[in-house]
Amino acid sequence: MGSLHQLLPRETLRGMRLLTAQQLVDERRSRLREELLSTGVEACDDMLGGGLRRGEMVEIVGGRSSGRFALVQSALAAVTERGEPAALIDLGDGFDPQSGEAAGIDLERLLWARPRKIKEAFASAEAILTLGMPLVVIDLGMPPLPGGRGAEAAWLRLARAAREKRTALVVASPYRASGTAVRTVLELKRSWGTVLRNEYQRPVLLKDLKTEIRVGKARGQQDQEDKKMERAVWQNPEMPIPTNIPEVSLQATA
Amino acid sequence: MATRIVCLQVPLFPLAARLRSDPDLRDGALAILTGPGPAARVVAASRIARRAGIQPGLTLTQARTRLPKLIGRPRDPECERAAQEALLDVAESFSPRVEDAGEGLAYLDADGLERHHGSEEELAHDLILAVEARTSMPVRAGVAASKLAARLAAERNPAPTVVKAGAELSFLAPLPIGRLTASGRTTEQLQRWGIRTVGELAALPSAEVVSRLGEPGQELQTLARGEDPRPLVPRQPPPNFCEGMELEWPLVQLEPFLFVAQAALERLTERLAVHALGCERLEISLDLEPDGHHARSITLPAPSRDVKTLVELLRLDLEANPPNGPILAFRIIVHPDRPREAQLSLFGPAALSPEKLATTLAKLFSVLGEGRVGSPRTVDGHRPERYSLERYAPPPPPTKSQPPRRGRGLLGVRVLRPPLDVEVLTTGYGENRPTEIRAVAREETARRPRVEGRVLVASGPWCLEEGWWMEEPVERDYWDVELNGGGLFRLYQDRRNHEWFVDGIYD
Repeated sequence: MGSLHQLLPRETLRGMRLLTAQQLVDERRSRLREELLSTGVEACDDMLGGGLRRGEMVEIVGGRSSGRFALVQSALAAVTERGEPAALIDLGDGFDPQSGEAAGIDLERLLWARPRKIKEAFASAEAILTLGMPLVVIDLGMPPLPGGRGAEAAWLRLARAAREKRTALVVASPYRASGTAVRTVLELKRSWGTVLRNEYQRPVLLKDLKTEIRVGKARGQQDQEDKKMERAVWQNPEMPIPTNIPEVSLQATA
Repeated sequence: MATRIVCLQVPLFPLAARLRSDPDLRDGALAILTGPGPAARVVAASRIARRAGIQPGLTLTQARTRLPKLIGRPRDPECERAAQEALLDVAESFSPRVEDAGEGLAYLDADGLERHHGSEEELAHDLILAVEARTSMPVRAGVAASKLAARLAAERNPAPTVVKAGAELSFLAPLPIGRLTASGRTTEQLQRWGIRTVGELAALPSAEVVSRLGEPGQELQTLARGEDPRPLVPRQPPPNFCEGMELEWPLVQLEPFLFVAQAALERLTERLAVHALGCERLEISLDLEPDGHHARSITLPAPSRDVKTLVELLRLDLEANPPNGPILAFRIIVHPDRPREAQLSLFGPAALSPEKLATTLAKLFSVLGEGRVGSPRTVDGHRPERYSLERYAPPPPPTKSQPPRRGRGLLGVRVLRPPLDVEVLTTGYGENRPTEIRAVAREETARRPRVEGRVLVASGPWCLEEGWWMEEPVERDYWDVELNGGGLFRLYQDRRNHEWFVDGIYD
């Protein structure tokens, strides 16, 4: 390994105190490993202290239409848009590639595993975590979960594997499933605004969706109790057109 | 034309090939037999058996009288073919020009190779070590300017023998004439004339030899002078790799068979590693008792050399499709492919290790089964349930990391596969707006949730028509509804049969 000054201009190296290219590579890798991953939702990133931390397990809990799946898609989109790979272990088999693409997910970079039971989901997650992807999401689908919430030991094993591989592991579930293994729990709850009506006085859904986000658990953080009091609201910035509807049919609405 | 040739020769090849496939026999007194039933004769015997006086040509009965504990095994063409291929694979990792001479013999074009290894002796030594390490077969090596001289040099000594350039004639001259060729007719004639050594034949005038012995005589004299009558013919590497063997007794259960298959897969992956290839498709062909046959093919999501994963895939496939009888013999064919390569980036995001990715995908494939893992793709068309799953091969990461986009919308659809049939009460024929949803009685599961309740808000209809020219066109009216029990659902009515389905949950 030659001297770094032969390879890169002096300005680039100012303040880095590095001598060889190997040190630069190591420095770069360690910085990548410490990087926070955005969920793509500012309110959520703020509550997580900047984003998803690599090596940590976060659980997102939310019932039907709470915005849980939208948050999962948003996090996957944020990672894949940066050109990094991500994985979705979809126990509920509910991922819709059309909706995912519309949410901004680069489908080519997304590894989609569709287990039938929670045991298969654990086995898949353990295999995928060995790859060292920046983000792995396990979506447990809708209740009742196939195979229950899984053994505590299995969740602990996954959390340890994620820590070793510096992977941000997100568990999205309808109720608390991962027990003590998880460090941070975000609870999502739908909070409606007024249902808007269009010019024909017909109610239009999906226009004023709001989700309330609160921290359900923040283990290891000094301001844990303060954190639990925090609330954030995630609201649609702009009405997106549902992806399944062809243009012709939109005229039919009016 | 090659000026320096290395000959690799596996002594007692039928025995070495059998021991490669069945290493448990290594410590026993083993004889390899050829021929049917009681007339079978020994063709090769292990060291312990040879010490007890077992020689080629003895019948099994004669051999057993000398050594009652002698283990007899018939020659297995499948084992020998695989062993020969393994030998050639190693040879090809040294030289691109390798001739397959059969029966544990291979010739390599060694022109210029000595520069990579220091000398021809070291080249031959490295070859011996590589063959022994990768094929578990003993091998001898000889280097000379002709194939015959190289082969005789290899046969001479377990240590590598090098015949210096130009010294072929003097090397061959003292050897008996019978070493030149296996067919004895011309040799016998020469011996009757009093020509006993190779040197004496080489010294005869060519015209006289041709006039008396014709073309065979001329060929023999060319060989005696250390020249090759035919040049080295490089083989075309086969498109796939194959290993197999006849089993000692029929195997009924899967586990013992997988134990044997695992050993074969280990040998196959060793051969793949020599060529830096991975297994892309695995074919297994089983001969069953009494005369059945069972064949399976497993396509891997990405080329892999992970034996554990390959065995697991084989296990799952054979459990799902068991053979109809006890297994007598098997053959595993591996279709190779180049493993993916990745360029490391200093300033962009890190790429996944292709080797690790291939192994992980194969593991996932074995855990989840076909069609359950891959990269999702959208499909042209309007029906929302359409999608396809492709092999996961992420493109290389960009050279620079990009900042993520912020301010995403709160709209995700969780689809129900297949759509959930429900009963829907509507406002009437004029508008047909849903007012209440009733679940069709069934047990609630994760993929079949119970959807019922009074409709608070209904938005629609959005009409979808597709494939009107086909026999079964799609005509649907979509509605987005909120139920009083909570939840936003996407439901549609099939216009052809007026049935209602819930096909997604906004989440």
